[in-house]
Amino acid sequence: MTRDDTDAEVMITLCARLLEDQKIAFIGFGMPQVVAMLAQRLHAPQLVQVFEFGAIGPMPLTPFIRNTMGGSANCYRSLAWTNMNTIFAQAQLGLVDYGVLGATQVDLYGNVNSTMLGEDYARPKRRFPGSGGANEVTSYCWKTIIVMMHEGRRFVPRVDFITSPGYLDGTPGARERAGLPADTGPWRVVTSKALFGFDDATKKLTLTGVLEGLTPEAVLEGMEMKPLIAERVEVLAPPTSEELRILREEIDPARAITGRSAK
Amino acid sequence: MNVLESGVGEFRFTDPDELRAWMRDEKRREFVDKTITEQEAVGRFVKDGDYISFDFSSFTRGPLSLIREIIRQRKRDLWYSAKFTLMESTLLVGAGLCSRIDVGFMGLGETLNRAVEAGAVKVTEWTNGTLTLRHLAGAMGLPFLPTRALLGSDTLKYSGAKVVEDPYTGRPIALVPAVSPDVGLVHVHQADVYGNARCFGPGVSPLETATASKRVIISTDEIIDHEEIRKDPGRTTIPYYLVDAVVFAPFGAYPGGTPGLYEIDYEHYAEYNALEGQGKITEYLEKYVWSVASHEEMLEKRVGLARLNAMKRRATIKEGYR
Repeated sequence: MTRDDTDAEVMITLCARLLEDQKIAFIGFGMPQVVAMLAQRLHAPQLVQVFEFGAIGPMPLTPFIRNTMGGSANCYRSLAWTNMNTIFAQAQLGLVDYGVLGATQVDLYGNVNSTMLGEDYARPKRRFPGSGGANEVTSYCWKTIIVMMHEGRRFVPRVDFITSPGYLDGTPGARERAGLPADTGPWRVVTSKALFGFDDATKKLTLTGVLEGLTPEAVLEGMEMKPLIAERVEVLAPPTSEELRILREEIDPARAITGRSAK
Repeated sequence: MNVLESGVGEFRFTDPDELRAWMRDEKRREFVDKTITEQEAVGRFVKDGDYISFDFSSFTRGPLSLIREIIRQRKRDLWYSAKFTLMESTLLVGAGLCSRIDVGFMGLGETLNRAVEAGAVKVTEWTNGTLTLRHLAGAMGLPFLPTRALLGSDTLKYSGAKVVEDPYTGRPIALVPAVSPDVGLVHVHQADVYGNARCFGPGVSPLETATASKRVIISTDEIIDHEEIRKDPGRTTIPYYLVDAVVFAPFGAYPGGTPGLYEIDYEHYAEYNALEGQGKITEYLEKYVWSVASHEEMLEKRVGLARLNAMKRRATIKEGYR
């Protein structure tokens, strides 16, 4: 059967499958919202989404509309409407199980850059919008999931700027030594071609799954860093017709998020 | 306390005792009618060089009519607290009025990024959460608050935070300095003439922003009787003595929405995105800010009743917002 799914649909689906029902997940702006909506309509109807502006446990109405994250449709039927200091305090306290974030650039140890490219901070070659709430999410959530388009230049040996902390220099206990909450950090990186985890000993990004029809070599080709490859690399099923139907008919008929593919 | 690391970013800070004296001398306890026009409010309370903060966002219950008035009056050399900012900081920078930004998240489009690359705007790195925590510290009259964010990151290096050895656990912890903005701008659903204000739905930090700021301008979609506040005090977000001016501004969040009242104007954002993308922010500002005398005139001449009604029509979800 020929597949007509887009890269965005693949990564959204792979990511949604990771989220468990009746857990608390910090959801970032844009694609992570679509991930959470899909999970809620499949296996995790009582996934408790939390947003940085303090909405807790909404049941977002669809279709998804970009830019209206704080509005009435996206915050529909919440459990509570609080504020930023409250929700980040709860994450700092250890109540938030998952964080789901997009990223501009990630390195071998899962450090995230969304601030700038270049050697000199004062004269950036490219400037980006900055942390937003991503630094808090990667600092506080038990398991952070990064979802990003599989483009080689986004995966670098060392980011130019650590906006949000991964495993820092990769040495054992680096996060804890810096004062970050124990046992936190990036847990999975989901792309449009593959699933990665982090090696327990070295904290290096490790390929654990490839999309059906692709080889590990094909996935790693073009990535500017060299991830480890797990002993057993699982084959990831592409989006099912039901997953695609929900994405296309219910969540994002305008294809604002789901229509994209890698450049 | 043993300081382990200090960020190099510049930051605004007010000594807590100076701030207490300000709160004693400048925040009026009298119940006086504070309703004035946006022109008067901005003219009286916003000065060149001020540090400006706001709540909530340019899409949802943001004080956009007040931002436009600041641009209209060309207040210069502003330092903007971009704790959840998209459109407002872009407009201020596009107008050439903002020279410094505290970065949580900045910009809708590339205007701000290009301005930083060109050195036209200076930035200090923070995060949405730590900028908001700085407002809480300001609102508590404290010099700083501790946080376990920022640690290990380059964001911290270019912020004004410090890492110290926590005297209780012995582990590193970050401290962020309080901020007390010169002016806080908050758009609300309802307020009485004294400034007791209600906003419904989630928000970044309406109360912290109003409490920490030296001057507070509230814009409100509705003015309600004072008795309504006393009948349902659980719904008051901001008490009157924090507020310096109340501006009656129906559709004050335009082109964003105020939940339960009106949804965002998608057509307007499409127009904005197109102009911003072509580097024509000035053209946008000319049309929506400088060529009209007021928010009301902008609504009348540049937006029109049909589009405003369409925004109201889309706001079918009322639960929780009244």
